[in-house]
Amino acid sequence: VKPMDSQTTNTASLDPVLTTVIANRIDGAVREMSNTLLRAARSGCIAVARDFSCALVTADNRLLSSAEGLPVHVFGSHLQTQAMTSLHKDIREGDAFLHNDPYLGNTHSADQTVLVPIFIDGVHMFTACAKAHQADIGNSIPTTYHAGARDVYEEGAVIFPCVRLQRDYETIDDVVRIGKRRIRVPEQWYGDLLAAIGSARIGERRMKELCAKYGADVIRRFIEDWFDYSERRAAQAIRELPAADVENEGHHDAIPPILTEPVRIHVKLHFDPAGGRISVDLRDNVDCLPCGLNESEACAMNNALTGVFNCLDATIPHNAGSFRRIEVLLRDGCAVGKPKFPHSASVATTNFGERIISIVQGAFAKLGIGFGLAEGANSHGPAAGVISGTDFRRRGAPYVNQMIIMANGGPAGPIADGWVTYGGPVGNGLQYRDSIELDEVMYPLIFSHAKVAPGSGGAGRRRGGPAQDVAYGPRRDSMTVVYVCDNTAHAPKGAHGGHSGRCAENTLLRKDGSAEVLPGLATVVLEPGEFIRSIEASGGGYGNPIEREAERVLLDVIDGFETVDRARELYGVVLTGQLHDGTLAVDGEATAKSRKHLVPRRRA
Amino acid sequence: MSYRISVDTGGTFTDVVVSDGTGASVIGKALTTPQRAFEGLSAAIRVAAESMEISFDTLLAQTDVLIYGTTRATNAIVEGKIAKTAFLATQGFADILLYREGGRIGVHEFTRDFPRPYIPRNRTYEVRERIDAEGAVVTPLDETELRGVIRQLATLSYEAVAVCLLWSVSNPRHEVRVGELLTEMLPGVPFTLSHQLLPIMREYRRASATAIDASLKPLMQEHLNGMERELRASGFKGQLLVSTSIGGCLEAGAVAARPIHTVKSGPAMAPVAGRVYSTAEEYGGDVIVCDTGGTTFDVGLVRGGEVVHSRDTWLGAMYTGHLIATSSVDVRSIGAGGGSIAWIDSGGLLKVGPHSAGAVPGPACYGRGGTDATVTDAALVLGYLDPANFLGGRMKLDQAAAHRAVTAIGEKLGQTTTAAAWAIMKVADELMIGAIHDITVAEGFNPQESAIVAGGGAAGLNALSIARELGIGRVILPSAAAALSASGMQYADIVTEESASRITRTNDFDFAGVNRLLDELRERQQAIVASFKGAFRDAKLSYYLEARYVGQVWELTVALPMSHFEGAQDIAALIEAFHQTHERVYAVRDPFGVIECLNWRVRAAVDIARPLPTRATATAYTPQPQRRRPCHFGPDGTVDTPIFDAAALEPGAVIAGPAIIEEPTTTAVIYPGDSAAVSASRNYLLKPTTGSAHQ
Repeated sequence: VKPMDSQTTNTASLDPVLTTVIANRIDGAVREMSNTLLRAARSGCIAVARDFSCALVTADNRLLSSAEGLPVHVFGSHLQTQAMTSLHKDIREGDAFLHNDPYLGNTHSADQTVLVPIFIDGVHMFTACAKAHQADIGNSIPTTYHAGARDVYEEGAVIFPCVRLQRDYETIDDVVRIGKRRIRVPEQWYGDLLAAIGSARIGERRMKELCAKYGADVIRRFIEDWFDYSERRAAQAIRELPAADVENEGHHDAIPPILTEPVRIHVKLHFDPAGGRISVDLRDNVDCLPCGLNESEACAMNNALTGVFNCLDATIPHNAGSFRRIEVLLRDGCAVGKPKFPHSASVATTNFGERIISIVQGAFAKLGIGFGLAEGANSHGPAAGVISGTDFRRRGAPYVNQMIIMANGGPAGPIADGWVTYGGPVGNGLQYRDSIELDEVMYPLIFSHAKVAPGSGGAGRRRGGPAQDVAYGPRRDSMTVVYVCDNTAHAPKGAHGGHSGRCAENTLLRKDGSAEVLPGLATVVLEPGEFIRSIEASGGGYGNPIEREAERVLLDVIDGFETVDRARELYGVVLTGQLHDGTLAVDGEATAKSRKHLVPRRRA
Repeated sequence: MSYRISVDTGGTFTDVVVSDGTGASVIGKALTTPQRAFEGLSAAIRVAAESMEISFDTLLAQTDVLIYGTTRATNAIVEGKIAKTAFLATQGFADILLYREGGRIGVHEFTRDFPRPYIPRNRTYEVRERIDAEGAVVTPLDETELRGVIRQLATLSYEAVAVCLLWSVSNPRHEVRVGELLTEMLPGVPFTLSHQLLPIMREYRRASATAIDASLKPLMQEHLNGMERELRASGFKGQLLVSTSIGGCLEAGAVAARPIHTVKSGPAMAPVAGRVYSTAEEYGGDVIVCDTGGTTFDVGLVRGGEVVHSRDTWLGAMYTGHLIATSSVDVRSIGAGGGSIAWIDSGGLLKVGPHSAGAVPGPACYGRGGTDATVTDAALVLGYLDPANFLGGRMKLDQAAAHRAVTAIGEKLGQTTTAAAWAIMKVADELMIGAIHDITVAEGFNPQESAIVAGGGAAGLNALSIARELGIGRVILPSAAAALSASGMQYADIVTEESASRITRTNDFDFAGVNRLLDELRERQQAIVASFKGAFRDAKLSYYLEARYVGQVWELTVALPMSHFEGAQDIAALIEAFHQTHERVYAVRDPFGVIECLNWRVRAAVDIARPLPTRATATAYTPQPQRRRPCHFGPDGTVDTPIFDAAALEPGAVIAGPAIIEEPTTTAVIYPGDSAAVSASRNYLLKPTTGSAHQ
């Protein structure tokens, strides 16, 4: 149903200049929404780590613009606005809605979205969406990722199934009271909610100005033109791929006790260059599991799309127009698809979801050298853990927040090495990284180190991003750390002869100097003097390491990403001189000889 | 007669502006000589002296102030010619400069390598020590190990050392001690301690500024000393000042001790110039200052008579370049200018830039082998440029080549050549409008309340169409548009600024601590001012606070209405000033929110400006054009357009569009319905029509 089409009076296409102008203005409005949310928010995961996204959706629920938002957040915004338009028949100007219901199109309960319907001359024309990952959502344990939750009841999140938050621009205090009663550190939550409302209202203001300037009819015409243009761009990129049906699979780690076996995740891609279409089939996967790892509909779809777009021209606009060329097939009641209530999707944005992205990239790589990407790290251990406790410096005030100081080496591709601050397939390098000092002033903790683990990136003609080695602990009182970490048994895979990345390893460092290896899923209570340490996973390599330019290998050693030994053993590059006096250099002759010798040993 | 000389050493040209006591000024231009900057500088001064009909020696001998702006620091960084610098970090945190603060531009971008740190990892050394957030020593400084590291630095002939330890802002003891040992064991090797350069929280920002500063010290000390020596040898007896990124100038010795302030100092001067022109023309204190060159479009802001500053200035790309982090004039750059190349993407949409044809091969019309259509080619096709009279006739343009290049774009768009040229101009406008949007609207400023000051060689082509799109009614195109930065230096204050951290909250305010800190900062600023030679000792002090609601992470800068806190009414005034700023920028205020005060700043500005030219009123008259040629104006079609030579225009001239005014270094396009007037100070005052969308 496209109610707007009937209102469109002018059906001739706009000229290309006007299309460019309006597209820029709309992207500018979304950037401004994002800036507002980032700078005005209270919790570290929004204000420091940028775990939020803004979007504008048409009144008939098609994603129009998401600027630089996290794909996992915004690609499904239209499902949320759809919930708004179908649940509320009395929408009017001045309304705002609060929506974090994963069974109604949201990603997972921690991602609260403020939706503001935008009216132009009394007609609902757009919806502004400001979605942010909350520091807490009232779960039964202090984490927004409750992997062990058998169902939504055990998860315990306060779910707002698209409820009215404002009427006539006034906040409905009933909703705020519900949140404040059930969410830990209520003032922080309220501050973040205010920031999200401000952000969505900025979007409203700008779209009203835009329509006043150009006229609503021109904007309606623009929307159709822009979707058509975006669709052409996607179709064009797909036409450059070979025709193929490709299957690929991988495994999420077993994380006892909730997953006693690894979970196989499977994708089937159909490439139809003649028709300019791709389909991603996620239906051949296990049914919903009695834990919090199930994918919501939005996450399954978004992550499949992210995997596809990561392998196409990055400048294609990502909106309902380009989405027309990519079909994602999901199944009701599937763990990697549409969750069946009351199965929990508490951790839908990361674990299974990130595997989908990597496995789709791997499927593209199967088209041949030059296509696709290796797999990137998705180990969300203590560096992405949720910490909680009380702060002795603030008269014992409670705190809870997600740490976002993971690096998670990125996947290598045909052109570039893996990104160092990749953060995981969902963050895709967009998220900011916590400041050590800021974390230490905001929470009563201290870091012992945060550095690159040398020799960790998957070797390849292009190298995977290196792992980070990081540890922190509480200062005067105990601190609880909750995390659910993949990649401790199944490392990110390489492609076309590139090596796999390393596995993640999480340990508890006791006061007596002993270390205890922690499981993939953990709720750890740290005492003062103890540290929790994570050596994260690293990205997979792409192409054979002995084809890597010797100069790149030399730089890797200088930069601390690689070691002299690995340069020789994996890359066949022999170095002379010393690292610290600047005399390190490639021994060309010895390298040529060494590489000849390595050829028979090259991995498949 | 006493003169003042300002010098802007750019990548290609060195611009010189010489003014006398009456406010009259002369411009000189010469090629920059990167090997020996003094040659280019003296050549440009000679050009100015010639047009003043005095000798170079006389001019220099009678100059009381010379303000020198240099891109030496920026260029050294871009070209990797900085000093061999060691970076000393707290043990366990050697990768601060690598990780930065995360984030990147480009959601699905997998074709770029991760950028290397400012100082390579093999030149980074760890120091065993640790201080916590409240300043307590967790791990004492291991001096034995540190001495070993410093001995190694001596052996390896390091030329500079940057020191950034965690929490040196809450307790500088360890950094101070590292400094003492460096002085003792590496005499003569310059170093920078992070808590002295930039005492703010967030280790990456502090470390990045510290590393950049230290790495420039040997080079800039030598450069500035050398410049001063040569000027003295040529008979200059006045005061040498150097322009800084803070939008002011400082004594050469002070700059050599903090060379980071010269990074990006050139673009920082354009907003200073913009403020002066707007004041002189009585256009008010809210100004958008644009500088359009061949490859980039820079935009900065003046608000309420003050140049807007930011701590988020990056060398290179945002997030992945190197953060300067000291408070600098907020200038945003995008890749759009006269040389920007037009192309069609795979969906059939016209794009302009960010690639530029540069100076070689340059736009197709330069006839140096370029075949891509650029903004300059489009302007030529539309008739805005005279192929025989470009750059005052010094360069002939190849009209046929421009036509061929633009036609190729038109064919792909299914449009005529003229329509394609118009489209290229409009898309270029849009890029610049987007940049202005991001620095104004997105920061809570309404551009419609501002005037535009447009500088740079390509500024006049679209200043009016941009203003019209943004709903801005007043545009100044200075006659010295092509030397905007050098003009700005003529009016720069001597500015010094210092900040310090004191964290306190408005519901439990540390009156004594804050007052003591502000007193200290003020005394230090006054001491710096007192050390100035000559008559420049009358400082205006301004006070700023970086604050946020408790629980927020990002600070807002608030200009403080007071310099001392007495009681509840001062706190109430502080709270209200913060609420207002927050509401303007983020559309909401938290009326019950407690405000956390973090960094306090005191700025001393010594006004050394010459009196502004008095604003005489010119008698309005309608000048006669020198010639006519057909120009195309989109929906208004092709019009036989009057062309005016700048030299033939007198103050008071009023010109109705369509019209073209040809200056030797820039061309002003007056679109149909727009108008231009020549002011008494010989600036062009442009007025767009309102209401017409001109698409």
